[in-house]
Amino acid sequence: MNLTFSGNRALVLGGTCELALALAGAMIESSLFPILTYRDDRGLSRIRKTLQPFEGRYETYYLNFGDRDSLDSLFSYIGDHLDFMVDFAQGNYESLIASADEDSVYRYFTENISFRAEALKMAGRTMLKKRKGRLVFISSTAAQRPNPGQGFYAAAKLASEALYQNMGLELGERGVTTVILRPGYIDAGRGSIYLHGKGGKTLETVPIKRAITRDEIAQTILFLLSDSAAGINATGISMDGGLTSGK
Amino acid sequence: MDTFAEIKKILVELLDLEDREISPETYLIQELGAESIDLLELAVTINSRFKITVKDDEVFLTRFRLYLTEAEQQGKDIAPYVAKKYPFLTHERIAEIIAHIDEGPQLKIKDLISYIAYRLRGI
Repeated sequence: MNLTFSGNRALVLGGTCELALALAGAMIESSLFPILTYRDDRGLSRIRKTLQPFEGRYETYYLNFGDRDSLDSLFSYIGDHLDFMVDFAQGNYESLIASADEDSVYRYFTENISFRAEALKMAGRTMLKKRKGRLVFISSTAAQRPNPGQGFYAAAKLASEALYQNMGLELGERGVTTVILRPGYIDAGRGSIYLHGKGGKTLETVPIKRAITRDEIAQTILFLLSDSAAGINATGISMDGGLTSGK
Repeated sequence: MDTFAEIKKILVELLDLEDREISPETYLIQELGAESIDLLELAVTINSRFKITVKDDEVFLTRFRLYLTEAEQQGKDIAPYVAKKYPFLTHERIAEIIAHIDEGPQLKIKDLISYIAYRLRGI
């Protein structure tokens, strides 16, 4: 299947994670132009090292979730041309609800919900200028089935899902659509550390008995950005090998 | 640039108003039937066309009634209180809105013209 795309300029929030970098490579090979955000020098180095074969075919920009000046600067740089946005950005805060530090909670929700809403507003308004755009939010099945300690992470993911879903409801008629992807266990990044630490027993609960791969995620997101997926709007798709479908 | 002419062009396009007579006194919501999504797109288009910052709540007078209530609750003079919130509106215009507030949404094209002029002055 040859995918076609209505546009080529794609903003990738949280562009330093393994999944984002896998996606960036796939995007470039499909003639899309990703702009990957990073929040520190280590992340920027990771992008440059991973995408070294693709020099000149992507851009990077500083964005620190919670730093509104960096958001203003990013969208000034983007100007009026933005066709896609894929949002991998997610901070982590693990704590039992009843023992959480209040200041940490306030900061966590400001960075992961309020700031995301502001980013979404800016992206939506930019895309509305051309009445065309596609936004993909990378959520997680952990949002629906959190472990103890993941309550704040789940809350942030679910709130963000609601924002993305509503954006698709509100702007769909003006050509701006959204979709949420909920990956399950992935053999990449934090997921990889967790899976290998548990000795693989966790994957027994997954009907397909394996983790999802980085490339599968990247190809799925690419599909969701393509013209073939244009009818999928304001909804979520689980990509977890069947994990959340059974008891 | 003739601001009214520009806004008219934008509204004709956005709201599909081919043969409609419109003037600065035309109501956007009551007469032209503009909905939230139309106002959002209007804000974005004004930002793009005139190169000014547009704050939706401000330009579309969304909180006008709320400010009236706030002024009453705080025991303040209504007109001066509201005038501080909408520095781009004249006192006469604010009085006009207050006088007709119960007839429906009071946003008129002339309010957009005032807002754009205000922002273009760099305020």
